Amino acid sequence: MLTCKEASYLASKKLDKNLSFRENLDFKLHTLMCCFCRRYASEISSLHTLLQKVRASNSSTLPKSVKLSQKSRHKIKQAIDEAVSASD
Amino acid sequence: MIHKLSTPDQWLHLYGDILYRYSLSRVRDQNIAEDLVQETFLAALKAKENYAGQSSEQTWLIGILKHKIIDYFRKTSRENTQEYEEILTANDQDDYFNPQGSWQIDLSSWSKPDKSIEQEQFLTTLQDCISRLPPKMAQLFILRELEDITSEEICEVMAISTLNNFWVMLSRVRVQLRHCLDINWVNQ
Repeated sequence: MLTCKEASYLASKKLDKNLSFRENLDFKLHTLMCCFCRRYASEISSLHTLLQKVRASNSSTLPKSVKLSQKSRHKIKQAIDEAVSASD
Repeated sequence: MIHKLSTPDQWLHLYGDILYRYSLSRVRDQNIAEDLVQETFLAALKAKENYAGQSSEQTWLIGILKHKIIDYFRKTSRENTQEYEEILTANDQDDYFNPQGSWQIDLSSWSKPDKSIEQEQFLTTLQDCISRLPPKMAQLFILRELEDITSEEICEVMAISTLNNFWVMLSRVRVQLRHCLDINWVNQ
């Protein structure tokens, strides 16, 4: 019988790759009997699903209010302008 | 559909903030995030003849930025590799499991966010929890969850010796993050 610590490891690894037959069996047996690990596994799995959506949309975890500062905007503009005029 | 490029002087206006948010949420340092945005535009300028128009301009620019971010992680991963040792050997003195390997934290119910406004707040809390992780653990989690990169590639980029070590560290990161979210995320 797995410990919760071992089960938490498999719950995480499971999000990354398919478990072996043995690992899967051990994990299922443990979570059948342990409500804490069942809850843990479902929580990290929903976090993973949410972040996969962020990944799929090529977006970020930051709100839209986060923007480049005026100062860095100015600096980047200068760098682009210089590179454009150098290539002309 | 073939996409056309706008002129480079429009890029900053059109995509500056999008690229900045993308970059900042991965590298979590304002100056580095800004530098990577600038490098992305400059690299795009050089490569614009090769732009085939298969993807939108935004997707193309983000593709360039992704490479810059991974290069940055690769460059910094060679520093402070003792952080891995510390995480991997901390196994015995654990805040989350007792010596018998059972949970010693309260796994009280944690309602997952569904509405979009809640999602934004949730992600802000998550970002905050990620920033409390040891730096390399944060990078490892970000690469795993937010970038299209295999675990084998992450080990190479982050100079992690074995896949097994990678899974052990990732598992510990998830335990810590879930716990942090449990404490700090209050679903109204």
